[in-house]
Amino acid sequence: MTTIMTEAIRKTVLVDFTPEEAFELFTARIASWWPARTHSYGGDDVKNVVLEAGVGGRLYEVTADGEQDWGSVLAWEPPSRLLLDWQIGEARGTEVEVTFAPEGPGSRVVLEHRGFAADLPRGRYDEGWDTVLGTFVESASKKA
Amino acid sequence: MSTNGIVLDALGDWTRRQIFDALKDGPHSVGELAARMPVSRPAVSQHLRVLKDAGLVIDTKDGTRRIYRVDPNGLAGIRAYFDSFWDEALGRFAAEARKERE
Repeated sequence: MTTIMTEAIRKTVLVDFTPEEAFELFTARIASWWPARTHSYGGDDVKNVVLEAGVGGRLYEVTADGEQDWGSVLAWEPPSRLLLDWQIGEARGTEVEVTFAPEGPGSRVVLEHRGFAADLPRGRYDEGWDTVLGTFVESASKKA
Repeated sequence: MSTNGIVLDALGDWTRRQIFDALKDGPHSVGELAARMPVSRPAVSQHLRVLKDAGLVIDTKDGTRRIYRVDPNGLAGIRAYFDSFWDEALGRFAAEARKERE
């Protein structure tokens, strides 16, 4: 097997909130800003979004049908850092890290979503190397 | 619906996620997948069609069988989806922080 990794997603926003306030808004009050209508499984049916405090805490959406997990907390370091194990379907096994650093009177919030990987059958690469090495041999042979 | 909407939707179903996860471990035929899942062959075929339409899996012919595997390009689509996903989510977060401050 060959693992393919793609580049991490990195986003930065500057807010007027202090890191303490921003961390609290991001976690305890996630339902007040999370765009659940478009960013969820349940869409319009989503009644609540919950991020439980502390390592092992769950991140999930709530609908009339029950709860659907999105991830869990791997690191909980208020007010500076939050690390989530992201379990949403196709991106399962990826990680989302959010850091909160003081910047002027407010703070700089950086989000990194990383670990997009796929295990591919080796065959594809074996063939690839055959082609590459074939060309190499051809070029190397011209010299002779 | 956007392509990325289809991608998320395709994996919203529990059985389809199991099929997709099984294919992440390596290529499989419909019969092999059906043997591992508590669902019928026609049901597995139906799920594979949805995954294929979403660009998440590709199939090749091997004699009379079809072999399914994860489409590596589908992964780039997933990453692109989350790229705009976070733009919007963080935009809302920053707007909420601003609103409360005012």
